[in-house]
Amino acid sequence: MHSVKSRVARSGDQQIARTAQLAAVRATDVTSGARGVLPAVVAFAPLALMVGAAVAASDDPMAAWLSTWSIHGGAAQLITLDVVAQQPGWIAAATAGLLVQIRLSAYSTAMVADWRTAPLGLRLLAGVVLSDAPWALAQSRSTGRRGFYLGAGLTLFFAWPAMVTVGTAVGDVVGGVTAAALVPALVVGCTVVSQLRQRAVLVAATAAGGSAVATVMASSGLAFVCAAVVGIVAGLVSDQTRSRDRAEAVAS
Amino acid sequence: MTVAIAVAVVGAGSLMLRLLPLVGATLIPDRMTVHAARAAMAVLAAMTVRTVLRHHDDALAGSRVTAPVLAALAVGLGLWLAYRGRSVLVASGVGLATYVVLAAGFAGLP
Repeated sequence: MHSVKSRVARSGDQQIARTAQLAAVRATDVTSGARGVLPAVVAFAPLALMVGAAVAASDDPMAAWLSTWSIHGGAAQLITLDVVAQQPGWIAAATAGLLVQIRLSAYSTAMVADWRTAPLGLRLLAGVVLSDAPWALAQSRSTGRRGFYLGAGLTLFFAWPAMVTVGTAVGDVVGGVTAAALVPALVVGCTVVSQLRQRAVLVAATAAGGSAVATVMASSGLAFVCAAVVGIVAGLVSDQTRSRDRAEAVAS
Repeated sequence: MTVAIAVAVVGAGSLMLRLLPLVGATLIPDRMTVHAARAAMAVLAAMTVRTVLRHHDDALAGSRVTAPVLAALAVGLGLWLAYRGRSVLVASGVGLATYVVLAAGFAGLP
């Protein structure tokens, strides 16, 4: 009897220890995600100030400011406010903004493999905080990707509107510093190059770079859609070439 | 009113684009997630290239050509450092500093 009791107690202790260990790992991942996204927060500050200045200059600053959370993307918000200020009607502005945001469905679909088993509430939270930097940074992690992503996503989700709000008050103070425009590209590019050791990603990214050169005069939304399509096709071609090479190697 | 409608439509659309695949996660096959990940990487790569190509700097002579070339050198150096395993912070900092130094040097040329 005593032995059964002590065995049950030991197994309970082990379970508690395992749960505590798991929780600790998750907390570590979340913290490390929050830390990992800080360079991106700094990098996106000039863009946030630009968006804030556009919000303040808009015909309806309150609506423009409130959309910072729902749009949660500087380029899309800036383009929407820009087009609506230049053209009558909302359709052209909404179309331009949504074209830029289409890429988010690619990130969200790519996240499904990691999040399929997560509770619905967590999946909804993951979707709400989704943007370029947290997704790209989480891709470089082999373990604890969910926790890392949530830490990074939540940090940017609160930091971004705060910086935009500062921008509405102080205006576009960094507009004259041209080097600042390169920082988001550097941060995003750095997260991409860490993935280039996978052949299919290398091929897709190279082809997308070519697509970006070809569509440099087009609108951002159209250029991104073209890059996504070119990337998928290039990845497929790379897969087929690799399969053929393997088949030939086996045959020889 | 036009601003409110435009931002509300983009906001609602953005939320849908972010949430729908994750809400219907059980219906999406693994193969599609692989293609989506490549498409997303392709967009990020295109974003970087586009920013470099469209970079302009009024302080430089012949800005339309000089600014993208200097930006390409600076960003290229940063990306190479990131590829060699340096942190995003270090790689971005070196890239940015390189551009500032190069632009200052070129701005000083007659």
